Amino acid sequence: MKKTMFILAAVALGFSLPVHAKGDYEAGKAKSATCAGCHGEDGVSSIPSFPKLAGQHSDYLYHALKDYKSGKRKNPIMAGQVESLSDADMHDLATYFSKQKGLNRKY
Amino acid sequence: MKTTTMMLCASVLMALTMPAQAAGDPKAGQLKTSMCAGCHGLSGWRTAYPTVYNVPKLGGQHADYIVAALHAYKNGERSHPSMVGIAGSLTEQDMEDLAAYYASSYSGPAK
Repeated sequence: MKKTMFILAAVALGFSLPVHAKGDYEAGKAKSATCAGCHGEDGVSSIPSFPKLAGQHSDYLYHALKDYKSGKRKNPIMAGQVESLSDADMHDLATYFSKQKGLNRKY
Repeated sequence: MKTTTMMLCASVLMALTMPAQAAGDPKAGQLKTSMCAGCHGLSGWRTAYPTVYNVPKLGGQHADYIVAALHAYKNGERSHPSMVGIAGSLTEQDMEDLAAYYASSYSGPAK
């Protein structure tokens, strides 16, 4: 019985945590300066070959960065950029860019 | 000589002023979205395999980038199973049209 209560408490705690607790907006903003060179200020790139990041889902952005780092997704420029990024950096950057205005699903 | 130079200058200027995505037709692209909309058009839709995350938004993305992404799926540089299958079935013109369509719905800040 006690065990059940403990499990219930743990589950309740899990649900009460915010979904994007992992990324820190301000930290992401501070780390985004390097990205701006290609992806534009606030993630709105003006160069057609570089994707806009503004408004993209944070978990997609995080997933893309992880794949560049692991080598699953190959791009010479991005491979160099992600080398120095920690897991927390990727969460922070993903959170920051996802909260900018840009991409949409109005189609 | 003068005429040749002038002609060259004129053609270079023309090329520069032409839109970069002249190859894609957004209206034709709209008619080809049936395979895309089931994932990219649904709110909160997530990938199921191999990992779970929100399917990326395409509205307002650069057409050049969308075409490059589709090429990367088609030639195996990018490996998402569903996208590899779908991109593999698209012609060059399909990719240009779809990219033009999704790029056209941008509504963010003008930069």
